[in-house]
Amino acid sequence: MEANKTHMAMLRESQIMKIHYITAIGALFVVAVHILMRIAIMPYGMSLEYENVIANYQSIPYIVLLESILVLVSIHGFNGMRVILLELRQSKRWEDGVTVLTIAAMIALIAYGTRTIIIANGLGVE
Amino acid sequence: MEREIADRSNREGMKGWLNPGRYGWERVSYWLQRLTGVGLLAYFIAHIYETSNITGGPALWEAFLELTQSSLGHIILILVIGMCVFHSANGIRLIFAHGGKGLGKPGRPDYPYDAVSLNYRQKSGIWIALILTVVAMLYGASVLFGGE
Repeated sequence: MEANKTHMAMLRESQIMKIHYITAIGALFVVAVHILMRIAIMPYGMSLEYENVIANYQSIPYIVLLESILVLVSIHGFNGMRVILLELRQSKRWEDGVTVLTIAAMIALIAYGTRTIIIANGLGVE
Repeated sequence: MEREIADRSNREGMKGWLNPGRYGWERVSYWLQRLTGVGLLAYFIAHIYETSNITGGPALWEAFLELTQSSLGHIILILVIGMCVFHSANGIRLIFAHGGKGLGKPGRPDYPYDAVSLNYRQKSGIWIALILTVVAMLYGASVLFGGE
């Protein structure tokens, strides 16, 4: 127990893996819907036109979908990266450093993506 | 008795991690799962940056779109589709395996000591993931190169 306390991890590895699998299944679902929206409603090329993309950013259900993708894939992706890096090398300094770096990168990416969603939501199409 | 100091020279680092040769298909699958994971994370970060160009107005968006809507851009996207499908299909197999499903019953270790867990169910899962990957990449190529 004492040894566990010296580590900075607040969650057990088994709990983190549960989060990893739940975000994987969630991401699979929301990314599938996102891709379907690109090819099923209109031709792929047309769906990427500026007006159509802006229209996506102004639809509340689509914003929820995009934010879900952003959060789920970021958590899953950066935790996956953390797992790979911890497999390569093990020491307290390395493990704590990797954990801090991946959490910081995850928060930065979610913040940057959310910024795009907010700004694009406020843009109008003439 | 003095304990032997661990020989650290057997550490292979990245070379050992990247060597898929010694342990059969399961090792190839392990390797591909990590490689596709890193590739998908790199693509995701690039995609977030790419889509942020929408905030710069139509001209910037169209200019950036031209860059990605090229033959090279399409080939990269087809690779991403392949990585995504393999990572998902193999990942589902791994979730089941982690939950103890499809691993078989523990048995007495007899020569040649094949692990019961590395059975035909796991191998079929890896092959299904590879077949789905090829099918998805072909479909992606037909959409991307087959005209708008």
